[in-house]
Amino acid sequence: MSVALFEKLTILVVDDSAYMRHLLMTLLQALGVKEVLLAIDGDEALSIVHTKEPDLIITDAAMMPMDGFSFASKLRSIRGHALGMVPIIMVSGHTDIASVERARDIGISEFLSKPISARGLYERLIQVLDRPRQFVETPTYRGPDRRRRERPFKGDDRRNSIALL
Amino acid sequence: MIERRPLSRLAGDEAREEAPPLDVRFIRVPSIAERKLGSDYVAPMRLDPRVLEQMQTTIRELETKYADSLKSQIAMLQILVEPACRGDKEARERFYMLAHDMRGLAGTFGYAIVGQFADSLCRYVEHSRDGDWNDGTVVNFHVDAIRDALENPGTDPAITTETLNALDRLIGSDVSERGSQRKRG
Repeated sequence: MSVALFEKLTILVVDDSAYMRHLLMTLLQALGVKEVLLAIDGDEALSIVHTKEPDLIITDAAMMPMDGFSFASKLRSIRGHALGMVPIIMVSGHTDIASVERARDIGISEFLSKPISARGLYERLIQVLDRPRQFVETPTYRGPDRRRRERPFKGDDRRNSIALL
Repeated sequence: MIERRPLSRLAGDEAREEAPPLDVRFIRVPSIAERKLGSDYVAPMRLDPRVLEQMQTTIRELETKYADSLKSQIAMLQILVEPACRGDKEARERFYMLAHDMRGLAGTFGYAIVGQFADSLCRYVEHSRDGDWNDGTVVNFHVDAIRDALENPGTDPAITTETLNALDRLIGSDVSERGSQRKRG
């Protein structure tokens, strides 16, 4: 099933390192992805997403002039269009808690730390393609539900009011 | 503000009801796998060992090419370190970009130690100020460690760990020295 699915996908890879772009593209092609779009930074990626509308985005965090955080943030701010909810996997060498939390708080779907492995990439792709978390819209946050585990918490449980897209 | 979106073909009756007047909205997104495969979709999607093996083979095929590229990058680091420490901004940028590339890629292609030293170097550069470069001790130690890790891949892991710890201490002492200079200033 997975090969049949990957053949139907258009994936955008955003990374300022030519070698990393090449590596990710080659791995995606090994999975069966027919259309891999490439961008060297957030600016180029933004212009591509408006014309090609990829099914999924894999982006680096540290890029110049527009980094992966700003790019993701701009994407999530697109309202009234499926593009604003496109799954984003952030690939980064900055694996400190602050960076991971920053990625989570701007609506990144999955975080993959460098150096990447084939298994790590494959698992995250399956996660976003087949087990998407519900999307949350609040005045201050727009992205996948940040709560991954069922834990007791104080306050109202507002997760019962789910709309279907 | 509550926003209404066009309903998808997969939406059920619930979606046709009015959204509750809340400042937060939860939207259940159908899986891309389900949407793309339609009736061929079988849940849940699992990792296929044959596909994974294919991906790992792809990485192995790229390893030789990467090894050559890594050698050139380390040679370039050695060339750039002197002008970078002298204050050449362009050399510093290129130096950092090379180290950043190594941090991200070396581990994937079997050069985990090179990647760890590159990571340490990047962290140092990211937190450094002009004065830190002028001395050059920490930067040079890192470049030597990276070159050594490439040339002697069989080095005792205990020595590698000790070297990484020593570099961490060097970075730490540089930072704390800066802190005490600021206090003195």
